[in-house]
Amino acid sequence: MDFSIKDLDDDTLAFWHEVREWFDEVVTEDVHEEERRTGAGGNRKVHQALGKKGWIFPTWAVEDGGAGLDPFRASLISLELNLHKVPYSAGLSTTTLVAPALLQWWEGEIRREFTLGAARGEILFCLGYTEPDGGSDLASVRTRATRDGDEWVINGSKMFTTGAQNGDYAFSLIRSDPSLPKHRGLTMFMVPLRAPGVEIQAVHTMGGERTNAVFFDDVRVPDSLRVGPENQGWGVLHGPLNREHSMTEEGPKPLEEEAGVLSRARSPLTDSMDAVVAWARQPDHEGRRPINDPRIRARLAEIEMNFVAASLTPGPPGRVIRAETFIQDTANIVDLVGPDALISYGQPGAISDGIFEYAHRFAQGTAIYGGTTDVMRNMIAEKFLGMPRNRPLN
Amino acid sequence: MSIDHRMELRSANFTLEEERVALRDTFKMFLERECSSELVRAAEPLGFDEQLWSQLGKMGMVAMAVPTASGGDGAGLIEMVLVAEEMGRRAAPVPFAETVAAARLLAACGSAAASWCDAAVEGTKLITIALRPLRLGVPQLIAGGAVADAVVGLLDGEVVVVSGPLPLPHVTNHGQAPLGRLDIGAPGVTISPLASGASAVASFTTAVREWELLIAAAELGMAVTAREIATEFVTNRVAFGVPIATFQAMSHPIVDSYIGIIGGRRLVWQAAWFADHEPDAKRELIPMAFTYACRVAMAAATTGVHVQGGLGFTVESDMQFYFRRAKGWANVAGDPQDGLLAIADELYGPATSD
Repeated sequence: MDFSIKDLDDDTLAFWHEVREWFDEVVTEDVHEEERRTGAGGNRKVHQALGKKGWIFPTWAVEDGGAGLDPFRASLISLELNLHKVPYSAGLSTTTLVAPALLQWWEGEIRREFTLGAARGEILFCLGYTEPDGGSDLASVRTRATRDGDEWVINGSKMFTTGAQNGDYAFSLIRSDPSLPKHRGLTMFMVPLRAPGVEIQAVHTMGGERTNAVFFDDVRVPDSLRVGPENQGWGVLHGPLNREHSMTEEGPKPLEEEAGVLSRARSPLTDSMDAVVAWARQPDHEGRRPINDPRIRARLAEIEMNFVAASLTPGPPGRVIRAETFIQDTANIVDLVGPDALISYGQPGAISDGIFEYAHRFAQGTAIYGGTTDVMRNMIAEKFLGMPRNRPLN
Repeated sequence: MSIDHRMELRSANFTLEEERVALRDTFKMFLERECSSELVRAAEPLGFDEQLWSQLGKMGMVAMAVPTASGGDGAGLIEMVLVAEEMGRRAAPVPFAETVAAARLLAACGSAAASWCDAAVEGTKLITIALRPLRLGVPQLIAGGAVADAVVGLLDGEVVVVSGPLPLPHVTNHGQAPLGRLDIGAPGVTISPLASGASAVASFTTAVREWELLIAAAELGMAVTAREIATEFVTNRVAFGVPIATFQAMSHPIVDSYIGIIGGRRLVWQAAWFADHEPDAKRELIPMAFTYACRVAMAAATTGVHVQGGLGFTVESDMQFYFRRAKGWANVAGDPQDGLLAIADELYGPATSD
């Protein structure tokens, strides 16, 4: 057990300095302004710049498009990426979830082309799992792929395909044989989002994010873009999905332990927490500072306590409690600040750029996307606590 | 290069070293063998088993926590929270957190307290701690008071030891714990000063914090067993033709207990590590661990009672051990939510008047 401050050598400190300066330069106010306006969850310019540095897959070898860094230096990049609020949810994160599956299942030229392109920031991947009729029940996919010689013809629709408007390929789970049992008739494809027959419609969320509905109308996909064996898409999905759920074969694996770094990750919640403490230190209309009010002190402390405990909780349980803490804490902050907390960004009287009301809206999605907290609880009950499965297999 | 305080990079290594695993397993196996449900039940309502206490004394439970300079084995709080969690898991009827905190306080009081400290280390006396300052005219419920030979506490800014008349009469209580009410104004009470000044007050405050940390670990231990009993029950119990674990109304609250336990345990471990290695840093962690663990344990035990249906409400069910003690062991020091105010003092500085 060890939580001591890391003693960094001059080389590492210089590297950290370089990384920070690079992000200071690249992540301009324009980037944040564009993200506020579009909610795209990604910025092509920043992404390409990251790719040029080899920082999308920083631990990959330089010849593979990475930067050949050790996990600790890679974690410094993640840290600065987080502190600079680089929009990453719909591009960087999805690309890094998908690329390892391509390394696993593909060979030869196409493998090289896609993974190198992804590492260099030239190709973006997004996830095509969810459909309008089914989210949590992933295997209920109805979008169809029909074989036609060396090609597949795809028809159907995907929902919440975040990043599709900027992405190049959707890592898509598609039904290839409806005669087989539910989990067995599925195949994974990299569906080109610029192909004829693909229509992308914007869907906007309460949290300010843009996601999409994607429609496939006789989209022709070469068999070379199939990932893994035919009708075994459910198994192919396993790797990226487990990574998304912070789940490994052995069980929970706390992400922060991979690089062995403890830090306070920045999010709309931590921004909101910092802003509420700053607010509480300022005198109110009667000249009293809320920070001296025992009622406010207890509530601020509770928010902090729940945040710290949730941050320390590893694996899928951590995902559940972080999302729910996010929701509760942001709601409590809005309550304790009062009506001014409701004022939005850019409006007169907005406190800290309207962070309180924004964080409160944004929080709700964290308990839904990437697997709802309910699905996560089912998984924990079965895989961690050994309880019986609570729903039919097919 | 300047580094924001929130950005200081620290190791995040929660892996227990082999010796610590061995220590934990020694207590775990001993308690599984010697501290059965029957023993816990037989020790009620006093909540004390003399033989178990003496066996644990021989294993060095109190002595290990005392610095080597004071005749102990110099274990840290990390070791002690591992032991405390095992105590909680078996609802062990011994006042371990109180006696460990008292012994460490006695050790901190130097030569004036040496004979008391020796007695605690050698196990010849059971010495507990009054968790709130003693006041004339304000009798105080003392954890372990009904089985103690001495009570160490803070009186008018001095660390003192109350040596008689003890043990105090037992007061039957929610947590089935050996509580007694100490009235320092009662006839025949013997009080001896041990240490005074700011350092004595600081030592007392530290001892109470250490007690909170040990109780936090014990609370999580209670939550662990409550969660295990609940899981086993809902997995095996069949209603409407299926195991009731297949109902999310049953499984999800138990999952929440599990989630609270694994996060709470890391909070406790981290608080213990900082108290051992950097006692001036992150002082909010102990009250956080305490308040959080108390919530987790109470929720786990409440869920546990509920999912067992009527059975969980009977005294036949071991679940009630944990339900009663999750509240009783912690609340003897006051409202566990007061930890929030302690967190605020550490994070925001003391409140001032505007």
